[in-house]
Amino acid sequence: MSAVTGDMAAAPPRANRALRQLLAAFNTNKTSWVGLATFAVVVAIAILAPVLATHDPIEQNILEKLKGPSAEFILGTDGFGRDIWSRLVYGARLSLWIGGVSILIAMVVGSLIGMVAGYFGGRLDIAIMQVMDVLLSFPSLILGLMVVAMMGPSVGNLIFAIALTAIPPFARIARAPTVSVKERDYIEACRALGYSHPRIMAVHILPNIFPEILVMGSLWLATAIRVEASLSFIGLGVRPPTPTWGGMIREGFENILDTWWLSMAPSVAILVVVFALNMIGDGLRDFVDPKLKGERGG
Amino acid sequence: MLQYLIKRLLYAVPTLLAVLTVVFFVARVLPGDPAQVMLGEQAGAEAIQALRVRLGLDRPLVEQYVDFMQGALSGDWGTSLVTGRSVLGEVLNVIPFTIELTLASILLGALIGVPLGAWSALHRNSLVDYATRIGSLFGLSFPAFVMAIMLLLAFAIQLDWFPVISSGGGGSVSERLLHLALPAVNLGIIMAAYITRVTRSSMLEVLGEDYVRTARAKGVPHRAVVWQHCLRNALIPVVTVVGLYLGILIGNSVLTEIVFNRPGLGKLIVGALTQRDYTMLQGLMVVYTFIIVVVNLLTDLTYGFIDPRVKYQ
Amino acid sequence: MAEAPALSVQGLTTEFRIGGQWHAAIRGIDFDLGKNETLALVGESGCGKSITALSIMGLIPKAAGRIAAGKILFEGQDLAQLDEEHLREIRGDRIAMIFQEPMTSLNPVLTIGFQVAEALRYHRGMSQAEARTHALELLEQVKIPSARQRLDDYPHQFSGGMRQRVMIAMALACKPQILLADEPTTALDVTIQAQVLLLLAELKQLYGMSMIFISHNLGVVATIADRVAVMYAGEIVETAAVGDLFDRPTHPYTEALLSSIPRVDRTSDTLMAIPGQVPAINRMPGGCRYAPRCALRQPVCERPPALAPVSGSAPTHLARCWVRAGGDR
Repeated sequence: MSAVTGDMAAAPPRANRALRQLLAAFNTNKTSWVGLATFAVVVAIAILAPVLATHDPIEQNILEKLKGPSAEFILGTDGFGRDIWSRLVYGARLSLWIGGVSILIAMVVGSLIGMVAGYFGGRLDIAIMQVMDVLLSFPSLILGLMVVAMMGPSVGNLIFAIALTAIPPFARIARAPTVSVKERDYIEACRALGYSHPRIMAVHILPNIFPEILVMGSLWLATAIRVEASLSFIGLGVRPPTPTWGGMIREGFENILDTWWLSMAPSVAILVVVFALNMIGDGLRDFVDPKLKGERGG
Repeated sequence: MLQYLIKRLLYAVPTLLAVLTVVFFVARVLPGDPAQVMLGEQAGAEAIQALRVRLGLDRPLVEQYVDFMQGALSGDWGTSLVTGRSVLGEVLNVIPFTIELTLASILLGALIGVPLGAWSALHRNSLVDYATRIGSLFGLSFPAFVMAIMLLLAFAIQLDWFPVISSGGGGSVSERLLHLALPAVNLGIIMAAYITRVTRSSMLEVLGEDYVRTARAKGVPHRAVVWQHCLRNALIPVVTVVGLYLGILIGNSVLTEIVFNRPGLGKLIVGALTQRDYTMLQGLMVVYTFIIVVVNLLTDLTYGFIDPRVKYQ
Repeated sequence: MAEAPALSVQGLTTEFRIGGQWHAAIRGIDFDLGKNETLALVGESGCGKSITALSIMGLIPKAAGRIAAGKILFEGQDLAQLDEEHLREIRGDRIAMIFQEPMTSLNPVLTIGFQVAEALRYHRGMSQAEARTHALELLEQVKIPSARQRLDDYPHQFSGGMRQRVMIAMALACKPQILLADEPTTALDVTIQAQVLLLLAELKQLYGMSMIFISHNLGVVATIADRVAVMYAGEIVETAAVGDLFDRPTHPYTEALLSSIPRVDRTSDTLMAIPGQVPAINRMPGGCRYAPRCALRQPVCERPPALAPVSGSAPTHLARCWVRAGGDR
């Protein structure tokens, strides 16, 4: 009995070690910190949107339309006289919300699917991973576009569409370690003690795969934000007058010969967020995919 | 080689069926009534019902599925609700433009990305390597339409070097190239960013391989070590990644075609969206399905070409 | 030695950078390699045998390593001072090397014929067709069955033993004066090992080469070497003609290595493993490097010993041990 508890006690430190490795990977790569800091600023702006916004982002004021930057309108106004800065900060909210929630859903659902497939193995595993591969072969933007086109554009549908495209990579990441972990002694011991499958997975497998899922999450959040902006640009995003970055770019683009500069601020905003997220993920990619680490033959 | 080809083709069949099933799932099973979406919020119940009947949405799902699969596999991809022309015909009209754009951007991406990535790996941790890494990371952070708008503003509107509306060009080759240039550069830069990164990391791995040391031990000159011994091995993962990113490229080409107002599948899709042409949309999904399966197949075949080990597995 | 040696290594020290600091992986290596002689470098993995060979070839990775001191004299030139281009002209032509891992040492995307012919094209300026004909002869010489058909095959179509034969053919292409063989048989099955060793010995006779044979296995060394240098933690700890070494192993490490060879004339329970490990190159003990693992350790071992003649043995028999060889007390 004491041997069993001893074995089980070995599980949590393993998770701690994984988190420490993640931190170490962070520290060896300065760009990751720059990315994280930048992203934190954007998140803060989104959260503080009601405070930072100087105007109502939706209310139109035709008398003030297409004004240049001034003390009152920091970034000027759009074709309906709305304050661009205020629309930008509220747009950040929507972008991060849709991206964040969809990736969170994809992380949870994807990991669950991967863990279940890896844990139970056999035909179920093969079937599940086959479906994941098929989904993965579809470009995010095209799949998102199809789903939203059929279901109609709304925040909920956008989140569903983006989450759907992001599930397969998480399932893959969760599956491989599950297969190896479930063979370890302490899992056998847990089974012998009569612990339920969900409990074993939650307590002993989840901590092992958590750091990798986190890193993958940062990479896919970048994709999610890009896809959301692209869909909004195409006209499949949240409907106007709600401010979205993609939609704002579209407004500038529709009259590109006259009001091209309307596109600039939201373009820079998207670029900064996606670049920041990619910087976070850049140094940590090795952590997710050990194959990319420079293995040197002796 | 032939055996490999046949095997690959056979593998593609179940994938095709599976992806078509996904398309059917998206089009018919997901909540949300296409008829409602097509006709808009204000549409009356009778109008919606009429459209449902016309589209066959009122029949049992299994029956719809069988119909859908038969149609998709036999090349009968439906007719446009708006123009009444066959989806296949519409697609065949514009697909040369999309293929042209895709190939040009892959070519551009490879021409920039492979040498840059290899060079970066050979000068690891130099200033140029660092700049290349940050630069390529920045490049792949660009949403395709953002870069497209910037290119359009700078080179078509301000400098007036290229046409603002890339109608695809008329008959002459030079005119066609002129219309192709900006869209291809747009997608090519993003592609180059991906290829640079993969080439760099796979080159770094290859440089540490035993066979590279063997080549140097034979007295093979540095240049030949890099070009003959390393690059071909380093390109194997690059092909995988190009294959994977072809999906992203196909997605990005939609955005590029919109910004440059260039004919192609993307323009077709957006047109169908704005005109709420449900059958066209569904047909286009089938088209994309075939494209993706074919692209995966081509990627596999390219392996067989550069990696002699593949044929015999 | 009356005749000038084919290769003379004097005080060779090669360093690697670990965490911003340079540490010596091999230190003060001295040996002469006579014409037609086979010198074996023996020791556990990590003792510096391969680094010695790579230093001679000029194949130490420049980003992380450097030859910090010493001379490598070959044909009146010091290879340690030679620039890359001149080294390249010597490599694969007059000095060639065979590596341990036949599975990974051949380029998977190039044909065997191409890889064997390569050295000839660069060093002899042969045309593709000439080099190919020559490559075929070489493959026949290393006894690859139906060599003509296999010229256009890729490495993955060969077994491990056959690949090592290909490696040997590659190394011999330009008839080198010196062959460096780094554990050429370690990765192979025992029966294949014997065949490859026999082939190497035969070809060495045929070509009149000198050979540096690197191995961790003294049993293999006994069958092929004329002289042995035992290496430990980057230093030569004992060197002697092969007979003297086996008759009178002096350094405790040599002794330990010998007793770890399975032999038919001993019972298996005396087969010993050496306790402990080779120290990491950034954690070398200040005195005798073997001291932490040595059963005969004395206070004097806190100071570094020098190679000293072993009393009662041949004058060429040297050992680096305060207790057994006296050092220069």
